[in-house]
Amino acid sequence: MYLYNELDQTLVNERVEQYRDQTKRFLNGELTEEQFRPLRLMNGLYIQTHAPMLRINIPYGLLSSKQLRMLAQISRQYDKDYVHFTTRQNVQFNWPALEQVPDILADLASVQMHSIQSSGNCIRNITSDPLAGVCADEIEDPRPYCEIIRQWSTLHPEFSYLPRKFKIAISGSPQDRAVTQVHDIGLHMKKDTDGNIGFEVLVGGGLGRTPVIGQTIADFIAEADILSYLDAILRTYNRYGRRDNKYKARIKILVRETGLEAFKAQVDAEWKNSKGGELTLDTAAIERVKAFFIAPNYSVSDDIQLNSDLEKSGAFRQWFKQNTREHKQTGYRVVSLSLKSPHRPPGDVTFDQLQLIANLADQYNLGQARSTHDQNLAFTDVKTEDLFSLWQQLNEHQLATANIGTITDMICCPGLDFCSLANASSIDIAEGITETFTDSAIETGSLKLKMSGCMNGCGHHSIGEIGILGVDKKGEQWYQLTLGGSDTHETKLGERLGRAIAKDDVISTVKDIVNTYKQHRNDDEKFATTFKRIGIQPFKDKVYGTR
Amino acid sequence: MALVKNKQIIQDSWHHLTAEQTSLANTIVSLDYWQQNKQALILSKQPFGLKVSGDLPAESFSEALEHVSLIAIEFPVFSDGRGYSLAKTLRDKYRFTKEIRAIGDVLPDQAFYLSRVGFDSLELKSDLSAKLAIEKLADFSVYYQKDSVSQ
Repeated sequence: MYLYNELDQTLVNERVEQYRDQTKRFLNGELTEEQFRPLRLMNGLYIQTHAPMLRINIPYGLLSSKQLRMLAQISRQYDKDYVHFTTRQNVQFNWPALEQVPDILADLASVQMHSIQSSGNCIRNITSDPLAGVCADEIEDPRPYCEIIRQWSTLHPEFSYLPRKFKIAISGSPQDRAVTQVHDIGLHMKKDTDGNIGFEVLVGGGLGRTPVIGQTIADFIAEADILSYLDAILRTYNRYGRRDNKYKARIKILVRETGLEAFKAQVDAEWKNSKGGELTLDTAAIERVKAFFIAPNYSVSDDIQLNSDLEKSGAFRQWFKQNTREHKQTGYRVVSLSLKSPHRPPGDVTFDQLQLIANLADQYNLGQARSTHDQNLAFTDVKTEDLFSLWQQLNEHQLATANIGTITDMICCPGLDFCSLANASSIDIAEGITETFTDSAIETGSLKLKMSGCMNGCGHHSIGEIGILGVDKKGEQWYQLTLGGSDTHETKLGERLGRAIAKDDVISTVKDIVNTYKQHRNDDEKFATTFKRIGIQPFKDKVYGTR
Repeated sequence: MALVKNKQIIQDSWHHLTAEQTSLANTIVSLDYWQQNKQALILSKQPFGLKVSGDLPAESFSEALEHVSLIAIEFPVFSDGRGYSLAKTLRDKYRFTKEIRAIGDVLPDQAFYLSRVGFDSLELKSDLSAKLAIEKLADFSVYYQKDSVSQ
């Protein structure tokens, strides 16, 4: 993974001191709340229901064991012994004290981490495919480009007071595992007919109140030009994006109101001035970063040990089938560490678990781990001969729930329990769903459930195969369900099931939906396929026919 | 008001146009005034400046650039980042090399970014803010992006 040089480290250290001074001036009363707000937000600090929330960047999801240990230590020293992984591959602390945040940031800086631009109206953490570099279907490893864009966007002097937040995701595979189509900019790595590397550029995607699927603004931008092209989009957005209404300030609204063609013309006019200029990436600059992401020396290995381990234990077999995936290298597997056990809210990891994960990463996974957009972790380079012993240790620590891709592997925001924006709780609904489906999750099959406690959509409900959205009706918590969404390379927004469901009926409604699917599916047909075939009506009939 | 230029607080040699004034020398005029008095301003051969709102596209006043000695970009509120792109555009696209000044709701914590997109003078609310802005110009000794071309 990328390692800081002196410049990177100096920048992060100086940022800590800058923020220390800003915090001090706020606490002294020299900065008003209004003036401090964007400054703290650009450092990832929100003021939530119970306490501040601090969001830390995990650039495109890559973590070293050293960094995992530091997250654990911070959770113990400054928080309540746990952290929360988010849908943008980041990590959140829910209980830090505002005056201690500069010290937390200094600790993070010592392991090459920071919270710069993890919130605020600026360019956020660059996210990517958690299987980058190890999946067989990859066109090109996106990580070096993620790093180049991370550096370009960090402390960007021109793009730090944008109309609204700005999210960029990059995928290197046709199978989109980074939900690029619901990002402000989604980049798809491509090769032209001569084998030159470049990007298809999507613009104007996003979830939230107005979910929109991103549209292609450019079919192919050569790698040398990608920064100048991004710069042109950002400048166009910064100049023309709406600032009169924060709910209409995202680039998706600008693109919709301007029209894609007219917006593209504006970007091209801007790009004409800068293309070929100082932002042009030369081969040497790209190669320098690529050197950090060279594939490890995989040992020649086979699956003989694995095959005999699989014979030994049914539980291991089940976990292997559900939670591990193909690796481009024979004798290796990609392992998902499920953060969706029945014991804690989706995405939460305890101090002890973090310590264990760090140790296991050192032992079995070249000292690294990755975070995924569906709020799990992954070990991407595990020898198949080690899988059994890895599984045993994960299992002891509730990290081997065999549910990846099933209904209990749901995406869920913190909801009313933590978030000051939420209209309804999501964690207790998640608990109910987990309790109801734990025993039948695998048999129910691949089914993506996503839940948000309000229409801001942090839980990606709009693209869930089952989407659940918490709404407030005269002080009561109700839930709006949608069906048939998709977070794949063919991203789709779900269809509204019907009128909102009372809180007490949500679990039984989900049961009705699952049963309707099971009743109609052919053999091992996936939910998406069944839904496409039979449409929403049978689900409506089942849910509302009886209520 | 206090003006910061070249990392120091300096006496402002410019003033905004007032009704009583007789000479236009070192006066910052509004866009309206420029548009209504173009010939007079050019013929006076006196240095003058132009005040524009950060949300204006550079095209709307680009014809003035060869005549003015200063552009003052006004920030209606500190969180409105359009002025940054405007300054950057004046420097990079229009190759404007004279003074660009930030006025309006300008906070000391913004001094570093403002200076890097091409502003060379900043109008702060007080001496205290101006002193702080000078300190904040030194927040970072390193950065990733290149500076605006005329810097």
